[in-house]
Amino acid sequence: MSSPRWPAATPPLEDEDLLTEILLRLPPQPSSLPRASLVCRQWCCLISDPRFVRRFRRRYRRNPPLVGFFDMGPRSLYFVPTLEDPNRVPPERFALQFEDGDQFMPLGSRHGLVFVIHLTWSRVLVWDPVTADQHLIALPPGLMGHLNRIMVHGAVLRAAGEAQHFQVVLMVADDDYDMQDRQMLACVYSSKTGVWGDIISAPLPPKVPIGSWPLMVSPSKEAVLVDNSLHWMLFGSLVGILEFDLLKQSIAVIPTPVGVVSSHGRHELTVVRAKGGGLGFLIVIDFCAQSWRRKTDCHGVASWELERTIELDKLLPLNPEMRAHLYIVGFAEENNVVFMWTSVIGLFLIHLESLQFKKIPHPSMLARYLPFESVFIAETCVGGGHDGAVAGGQDRGELLLNTSIC
Amino acid sequence: MATREAGKKMIMLKSPDGMEFEVEEAVAMESQTIRKMIEDDCADTAILIPNINSKILSRVIEYCNKHVPTTGATGAAASDTVAPAALAEDLKIWDAEFIKVNRATRFNLIQAASYLNIKGLLDLTSQTTIDTISDNSLEEIRSFLSTKNDYLPEEEQTIRRENQWAFQ
Repeated sequence: MSSPRWPAATPPLEDEDLLTEILLRLPPQPSSLPRASLVCRQWCCLISDPRFVRRFRRRYRRNPPLVGFFDMGPRSLYFVPTLEDPNRVPPERFALQFEDGDQFMPLGSRHGLVFVIHLTWSRVLVWDPVTADQHLIALPPGLMGHLNRIMVHGAVLRAAGEAQHFQVVLMVADDDYDMQDRQMLACVYSSKTGVWGDIISAPLPPKVPIGSWPLMVSPSKEAVLVDNSLHWMLFGSLVGILEFDLLKQSIAVIPTPVGVVSSHGRHELTVVRAKGGGLGFLIVIDFCAQSWRRKTDCHGVASWELERTIELDKLLPLNPEMRAHLYIVGFAEENNVVFMWTSVIGLFLIHLESLQFKKIPHPSMLARYLPFESVFIAETCVGGGHDGAVAGGQDRGELLLNTSIC
Repeated sequence: MATREAGKKMIMLKSPDGMEFEVEEAVAMESQTIRKMIEDDCADTAILIPNINSKILSRVIEYCNKHVPTTGATGAAASDTVAPAALAEDLKIWDAEFIKVNRATRFNLIQAASYLNIKGLLDLTSQTTIDTISDNSLEEIRSFLSTKNDYLPEEEQTIRRENQWAFQ
């Protein structure tokens, strides 16, 4: 009656493939996999299997929870959780220590990875806080000559559909005030090939005569990934949004709407993902936030459209006399959450769609906040004899071998 | 037996307990496994579906009938007259009713969805199972799924210690 093309009937919870299908639907909150791994050995070993981990990461690639953020200490990157128990991952679970005198700067976090430039070692460090994997990569020689005098920006991302590989993008504003040739330089590293690509350069529009400000990419804000492009907010001698297209490997500057954003205005800006997708930005002037979206008409002409106005002073617990300048200090792109700071409230998070507001106790003043959006994988497999744990080690080994360890 | 009825190609599906179900080919092809058999020309005669009894197979066909593109449960063309969002909402409500079954039936549906490779049904049945247990204690999960705790006490302690925060 049965034929070879049909598998034998096994109850779903005893069939590892079916059980895996079920377990993949576990929610992405941090406590989810550690708790499930305690049900029985079989669950633990399936959940620890690197193939499961890759699928689980892929499944929640576009909607990982905002677990917390990283802040920069004198010799460390330290973690501040933003979720409640039992999903509150303690700070000591994710910590990255440096040596005395090390010069380092976190440049971005995405897809569960944190990207730090280590200037003392002339390396970039890609760190997976959950697995503690670290990848040290020598800086691209073509950019080395530019690093001492200009600011460096960057981003990390896992390649779509390939949870075990990542890309790093370094972006340099080559904008010495006396130089005639103003340009942006970018270089992309792929862990799959283990090498940096060619230097990509693009000339910038002519300098606007507004004084001696150099071209600046907002230093305290990470790149925001929208569709297949990374975006940074520019300020200084050129106002706009810097775009790096990952597919075309090209650099462009997208102008912001005239009269809304100025080079010397007392406003706060961040690139955001517009509602329903596409590029947007949020501008806050005196507790009034406007979200703008980029739209393209049927003739392919792009323009900006005011999407929404949010009166933050009505949302936040503030008396009129308590108003202080409000800073945008970060944006969690997958969760659509803006990190803001004022001297009165301290750090708080606002979900841009629901406008839910959450105050985060954090003693640090203005700092470099790296929102950390990630699933939490469980790697434990106690004595079950399953090859998951061993394969887990091998998987990490392969990852390291495929990656440039310099 | 492959036949024609009202201009639509029909496929005969047989369960191991001897029941036969005549379904539209498009409905049967919601199953990627059956689709492949049809495309490989292995489906001239009735297709025997082993391991899936008639009660479960009829539920699977009911699901496929509802989810086959462009036609609703009544067989009338729906996509021209109903907005996609309304159609999706209708399907969601229908799914929620469809999956109100006991544990044994749901597990059988998971198996069937997997064997027949029907992604939507596998999503629905697996997600419902996880949603049912995810807010429960470990003991309740074990009891619901009839799974035994086979850890040694010290092993359980080790795992708890590693991620103590997750058990707060």
